[in-house]
Amino acid sequence: MFIHIFKYRFKSLIRNKSMIFWTMVFPLLLATFFSLAFSGLNEHEQFKTINIGIIDDANYQSDIAFQELIQSLSQEEEPMFAAFLMHENEAKEKLVSNRIDGFINVGSPMILTVHQRGFNQSVIKLFLDQYSQTYSAIINIIEGDMTLVHGLVTSLEEGTVYTKEFQLSKAKPDNTLMYFYALIAMSCLYGSFFGLREVIDIQADQSPHAARVNLSPVHKLKAFIYSGASSVLIHTTELMVLLAYLHFGLGIDFGHQYGFVVFTTFLGSVVGITMGALVGVVVKGGEGIKYAICIGVSMLGSFLGGMMYGDMKYIIDQHVPIVGRLNPINVLADAFYALYYYDDYERYSMNVMNLIIFILIFSIITYRIIRREKYASI
Amino acid sequence: MPVFKLCLKIFIKKLPIIMIYVSLFLVISLLIAGATKTDREKGFVQTKTNIAIINYDQSPLVTGLINGLKEIAHIVPLEDEPSTLQDALYYRKVTYILRIPEDFTEKFLAGDEVWIEKTGIPNSIDAIYVDLQVNQYLRIAGLYKSQSHIDSAMIAQHIQKDMENETKVNFSGGEEVQQDQSYAMFYYNYLAYSLFSVLILGISTIILVFKNQDLRRRNACSPISAGSSNFQFILANGVYAVICWAIMVGFCILFDYKNSNTPNTLLFLLNSFVFTLCAVSISFLVGNLVKNQDGISALTNVIALGPSFISGVFVPQEFIGENVLKIASFTPTYWYVKANNTIANLNSFDMDSLRETMGYTGVVLGFAIAFLALALVVGKKKQLSQEA
Repeated sequence: MFIHIFKYRFKSLIRNKSMIFWTMVFPLLLATFFSLAFSGLNEHEQFKTINIGIIDDANYQSDIAFQELIQSLSQEEEPMFAAFLMHENEAKEKLVSNRIDGFINVGSPMILTVHQRGFNQSVIKLFLDQYSQTYSAIINIIEGDMTLVHGLVTSLEEGTVYTKEFQLSKAKPDNTLMYFYALIAMSCLYGSFFGLREVIDIQADQSPHAARVNLSPVHKLKAFIYSGASSVLIHTTELMVLLAYLHFGLGIDFGHQYGFVVFTTFLGSVVGITMGALVGVVVKGGEGIKYAICIGVSMLGSFLGGMMYGDMKYIIDQHVPIVGRLNPINVLADAFYALYYYDDYERYSMNVMNLIIFILIFSIITYRIIRREKYASI
Repeated sequence: MPVFKLCLKIFIKKLPIIMIYVSLFLVISLLIAGATKTDREKGFVQTKTNIAIINYDQSPLVTGLINGLKEIAHIVPLEDEPSTLQDALYYRKVTYILRIPEDFTEKFLAGDEVWIEKTGIPNSIDAIYVDLQVNQYLRIAGLYKSQSHIDSAMIAQHIQKDMENETKVNFSGGEEVQQDQSYAMFYYNYLAYSLFSVLILGISTIILVFKNQDLRRRNACSPISAGSSNFQFILANGVYAVICWAIMVGFCILFDYKNSNTPNTLLFLLNSFVFTLCAVSISFLVGNLVKNQDGISALTNVIALGPSFISGVFVPQEFIGENVLKIASFTPTYWYVKANNTIANLNSFDMDSLRETMGYTGVVLGFAIAFLALALVVGKKKQLSQEA
């Protein structure tokens, strides 16, 4: 009996084109759009060499220390500055056309001319400030004791670095990943369309198909579980396609625990399907309203889970963590995030527990409502 | 005008779904408006990044260092809890975390090797910026250290004095934009998604209804000339489009009334109206292509959402990769967004400054005509094959 119900349910479900579109094609498309839109985002944050102009005048020619400093800076492998000597008119022109971020009139004090505010401009200013500060410090010291001058020069040339990189996690804090994690979570919750379909097709008062099924000499719960199994299979397979596409097609990093990633996705699929079933049995009204509620819950959940605006998840976690705990999309996205970014499993296991609680609540309520339901007339 | 009335009836039936799009759009716009408060200071201001400092050493030297960092950074208080720090870094609430060990000053003065642990986004400009300042401070401290009889407080005092040496900055930037058009820019850009969705949804639904073969035959034998029937049909769609457009831009003017009394607003209106025309012709095409209602909602999402993502509606154009933008330039949305971005930064309104925006709006108009032609061809072909 299992084989029979499972097989025909499977066939009928995969022929439902609109459902397959929303649960598989749509997430794939959205993932592609995300990846295209975020293509330049991380690069934008990366440091790029800053172009500066230096006015080639008598002041510059006479300041040998500054000349040397500029030269030594440009010779590094990934130089912080690329300095070009130029005349003032040329510099002004290049500044306006954004080919240099600022130009420097050497002198005491140094004068920096910029066309807009920004990080690059601030870095140049900081660099010049430091030059004059170091100069002032040296003067200050040798005024007190001339003999120290040699030591100062060597210590400056050493250029001691006092900071040391210390990573909190093995993974890079790439904040565009959150969008993809929330997207997987949303696709999991789109499983609710399958769950809803299952209930509509088993509750005799909701569709003629269900009325017919109820007449057949099969235990209702068995019929429900068997056909539900094919929903889980289809939806999980769709999600695996999505995961594979994200990882191999778009290069999304999930960390290294692939087994856990797949397991979490499977749990997510079950959460989605049981949630759909719950909506199906609890909400009274037409099919349209039930679908609208499923879509509404997924959309609101995705928004709060950071799919439309990444910081939303952080804001919720900081201020109203309980909302995050109650939002399946947030919990799922957080589980992926914890797997990727955290080195221990504490946060991940909490999320998994949370998901299992969702599944239990959704299925127990659904079970209590659909069992032994008898209809005197429909 | 029976055809016109029928169209309106169908639109009204679609109203609940359309209202969902409109209200969702308004809520998001309001949220974003709250988030985009641009600073309007004049002249050059040192950029500040957000950092966290976990400090276990309260010596004057370290206090001086922290004061020095305040020049270039906002210091965000965070608990020394790995997950708090990790989350804050991931969501860019801070871009750099410094951890100063307990015995830092002691070891530093003794000349032992000692480090401040830093955690940042590798190779990011923020990290380099803060690094510069930290190392500079400590290098100067290192210079003073070589003097005899000096303690941490004196070093800090000296450095504080040295730090008063500041570079003079000339700000040659053009005049500031008088009005803040950033809200309007976001709002109009976002129309490319919301208005587009609403138009496709409404117009293609009507076309779908009228495409029904039996209905078409029934209409053909009614005592209304084909010309009049077509005219009413187009009129109804036009009215629908204009009402949708008016409602949506009306809310923008309402929310942003302070900055709306400018020539920029007129340009925004013109540009969005041209885009509405383009959306209408695309909706005609969609209506002629799809077979059923399910197809419409699927296509709406692909056609309205896809270009919005790659053309800079959700993520600004300057953050999007060059190749992606090249693909995007084949969609009208790209040119519409580009026009909006230019309009937002317009200060003068003579022919020369307007030429660029007008060029972009012109491209959108070109798309509108092209799609309309395509829709007419497809529609005619389908009709002929149906009658055959």
